[in-house]
Amino acid sequence: MKILTCPLNGPRNISEFVYGGQVKRMPDTATASDREWAAYVFYEETNIGVVLEWWLHSPSSYWFIAERHNATDEIIRTFPADELFTQRVDFSSPEAPL
Amino acid sequence: MTETMFNVSPLGGQVYDGAISIADYTTRHRSGLRGAQARSLLIEAGWSVPAHPNEILQTEDRGFVMALSQREFWLLEPTRDALSISISTTAVDKDVYPLFCQSSHCWLVVTGELKSSMMAKLCGVDLSDNAFATGTVAQTQMALINCIIARHEMAGHDVFSLFVDHSLAEYALEVLLDARDEFV
Repeated sequence: MKILTCPLNGPRNISEFVYGGQVKRMPDTATASDREWAAYVFYEETNIGVVLEWWLHSPSSYWFIAERHNATDEIIRTFPADELFTQRVDFSSPEAPL
Repeated sequence: MTETMFNVSPLGGQVYDGAISIADYTTRHRSGLRGAQARSLLIEAGWSVPAHPNEILQTEDRGFVMALSQREFWLLEPTRDALSISISTTAVDKDVYPLFCQSSHCWLVVTGELKSSMMAKLCGVDLSDNAFATGTVAQTQMALINCIIARHEMAGHDVFSLFVDHSLAEYALEVLLDARDEFV
């Protein structure tokens, strides 16, 4: 059994975790074009190397970020998401035209 | 305000005595709070609150506060009946929201000297006395289902309190009864 270290709960069997996709920079929701938004939602980097990924510790519903080499599967480190995301994103959109 | 659900346990509130005892505490009172101000709100209300996540602390004559993260706390009151409570569906204070753990999770209490050995058959986390001290909480899996395990003292006994989803209550009880067979 592989072991992954959750920043909140410590080392746990990998079966307790769910992969949540790559960590990507979200474009400005007010100004992003459809192409930019589609790229953010659907495109994934496929280069070999160290990547940042979202992981969920399912029993505690805790989302965190893992730095992992996607070829060797080595986990370099795991850390709380608030290390990267320090402020709340406001998703309010301009009023739709009548 | 709305009356709480699950004031009747799907497990019937039974106690299974033996060298390792398993008691259904599902109808005992529990509630939760989540939010940036949850900790300070509980301290203001006179509760002893654990300093770190994954710890549980007793407040004399009231019950226990279990910290599941920096901003999420469950209040466990084994001497209070769940029948009498009402729960709010709106924020209880600025940035503090209620958690409905009475409705979401059943509560099983395991006692007995060999309970750690029994749990080793079901759970990947080391719950032995040296590794899992009194006052510690593990959010993990037991027999492949999500489970919160808290070690604390209750009525003079060292116990494990287990919390699993209501929909899995019967399964959880069944695997515990099966696992304890060799210890009874």
